[in-house]
Amino acid sequence: MFDAFRTPDNVLVVGGSSDIGLEIAKALAKRGSSNFLLAGRNIDQMAACANDISSASKSRCQVAVVHYDASHDNSHSHLLAAAKDELKTLDYAIFAVGLLGDQLNDEKDASKAREILDINFTTQAMAILEVANYMKEQGFGQIVVISSVAGVRVRRSNFIYGAAKAGLDGFSMALGDALAGTGVGVTVVRPGFVKTKMTSHLSAAPLSTDAPTVAKATLKATDAEKSSIYVPFAIGIVAGIYRHLPRKIARRVPF
Amino acid sequence: MTNELISGWGRTQWVRSQLERASTLDEVRNVVQNAEKKLIPRGLGRSYGDAAQLSGGIAITIDEPVTDPIIADGKTTLSAGYSLDNLLRRIVPKGYFVPVTPGTRYVTLGGALASDIHGKNHHIEGTFSRHIESFAIVTPTGTQLVTENSEPDLFNATSGGMGLTGVVTDMTMKLIPIESAYIKMETARLRDLDETLSTMAGSDHKFRYSVAWIDLMARGSAMGRSVLTRGDHASLSELPPQMASDPLKYEAKALVDAPPFIPNGLLNNITVRAFNELWFRKAPTFRADEITSIASFFHPLDMVGKWNRIYGKKGFLQYQFVLPDGQEEVLRGIIERLSGLQVASFLAVLKRFGPENDGFLSFPKPGWTLALDIPITNAELGNLLDELDRIVLGAGGRIYLAKDSRMSKEVFEEMYPKLDKFKEVKARVDPNNVITSDIATRLSIC
Repeated sequence: MFDAFRTPDNVLVVGGSSDIGLEIAKALAKRGSSNFLLAGRNIDQMAACANDISSASKSRCQVAVVHYDASHDNSHSHLLAAAKDELKTLDYAIFAVGLLGDQLNDEKDASKAREILDINFTTQAMAILEVANYMKEQGFGQIVVISSVAGVRVRRSNFIYGAAKAGLDGFSMALGDALAGTGVGVTVVRPGFVKTKMTSHLSAAPLSTDAPTVAKATLKATDAEKSSIYVPFAIGIVAGIYRHLPRKIARRVPF
Repeated sequence: MTNELISGWGRTQWVRSQLERASTLDEVRNVVQNAEKKLIPRGLGRSYGDAAQLSGGIAITIDEPVTDPIIADGKTTLSAGYSLDNLLRRIVPKGYFVPVTPGTRYVTLGGALASDIHGKNHHIEGTFSRHIESFAIVTPTGTQLVTENSEPDLFNATSGGMGLTGVVTDMTMKLIPIESAYIKMETARLRDLDETLSTMAGSDHKFRYSVAWIDLMARGSAMGRSVLTRGDHASLSELPPQMASDPLKYEAKALVDAPPFIPNGLLNNITVRAFNELWFRKAPTFRADEITSIASFFHPLDMVGKWNRIYGKKGFLQYQFVLPDGQEEVLRGIIERLSGLQVASFLAVLKRFGPENDGFLSFPKPGWTLALDIPITNAELGNLLDELDRIVLGAGGRIYLAKDSRMSKEVFEEMYPKLDKFKEVKARVDPNNVITSDIATRLSIC
């Protein structure tokens, strides 16, 4: 259940070892959330995350870990079954699965491109839908979807990842509309460049941020039941302008 | 049947529930025994947090009767769907009053029993359930007429049991006779916490009704300053002639509704400070023998309908705790803390409690209770209240379930030592846990 401050008791993190997912979970643990389920591919990494969450916790908290491989069929229904087993109610679900890929190589290989599209969009959308339907039945819940400014206007430099995020973003925003009045909220978080494991091989873009900042902004947004946010705020203005630039000019913008 | 988003009075936790209505015992039984989902009884939804709601389940409300209560020997048997508002309109003109009323008349009798409410007379007359002779309750295992003698455990589990033992359909209540619809009131402005505590401890027993409004925003030497109002029902001979001609004329009007769209943060520590200053200064230093109406003495906030909206979209919470006698220094510490942090609370209310009763989850115990409304700001406020919970617990006090929207289950379990007895009764009358609520899930009550 939520308390009066919209602090949930039970939290599901899909992409259980993602840096952003971990930071949001830690921030919730600090506020008093007591049960966590981390779902992801890398059990060892998730076990380490579980420790981090426990140490951040205000009081006693329990963290369970479940293997979830978005590339397998029916992974979304296994995910929901695990959530029902481990969590008394499904209050707060964070979808933070992300695979950046290697654009220049992936665009030469359709099956590689498909993997990026599947992991970032298709399978994640299925899991979100499964959780949303369950929360709707439950009568309340909060879904957080980690999108990206890369999806606001898809750019040449990472159009496979960007397109997947664009799809995920649109899907989640409209799902939020569909859930209006059900007690279930969807908050789409669009960070700019975040310094994480996923981006460690890249040099930071302007207005870059870090995972704890994204987590803090996310909690503020879900507290206020916002449908979407940009982190940092200014990247939203930049993305908003960039999105409307004539294509010929946009093509020359060097990031 | 409709599906709607509902919340408690604090407008903090919104959930979707199936709303069912019933007006007869058979209809209630029908809903309880054929329910495909879990359910909770819900009256007027005035508990502040998540006590009268069940996300994804059924909230069953008993229709308010339109009939006049029949009073015999000063007692009456009434539907649990009766609101105090409706009831007072019907019984005050006949010369009767309810034995216990909270600060609003918009509660149902069912809700009053479920929360085992207290009023300004707790120090003399105890909680609501002490004035209930019997009640009929529909549980998943059957329907029973319960008195304190016939079924003491079920009686005490249901009194203050937050509706979790079953749906109470009607109850027999002892009313109190009154000669007038007026209160003879004494008002005193008390300059600090010492004066407030010593005045109340020293002379509350001389008054049937007593409550102090405390200015929690006042700091320094004025910390804990208050306006204490005390009184009793006015007798016929105490009324001025124009009132004495129609002594039982009962007037209780809601003048206006608060508007629906109010921004978060309207009540902040600047506006509340200004309001409190005004409220304190408008009170007389001392005034005795003032005659005032029942509505303005007991239910001043009811003059503004839907006043919970003034806290904006994020809503508010009420923090109410009791500290046993002898823990005045702890009380002082908490008030110092709140006033030091300038937590924006207007109309904080301090009152003395009399003896504890046998309700397993009943709130009152002898000592001091402080209730304050606080707008929801950020999670730091949550941390502060968690700390205060620990202090209250350490001093042998507890938090009121009807107001709670945030305490932890660990704290709750320690505050209510008779929880195990409650659970025993609950398991007996509702072995499959069909009747439950969001607060019950949140605090693992059952």
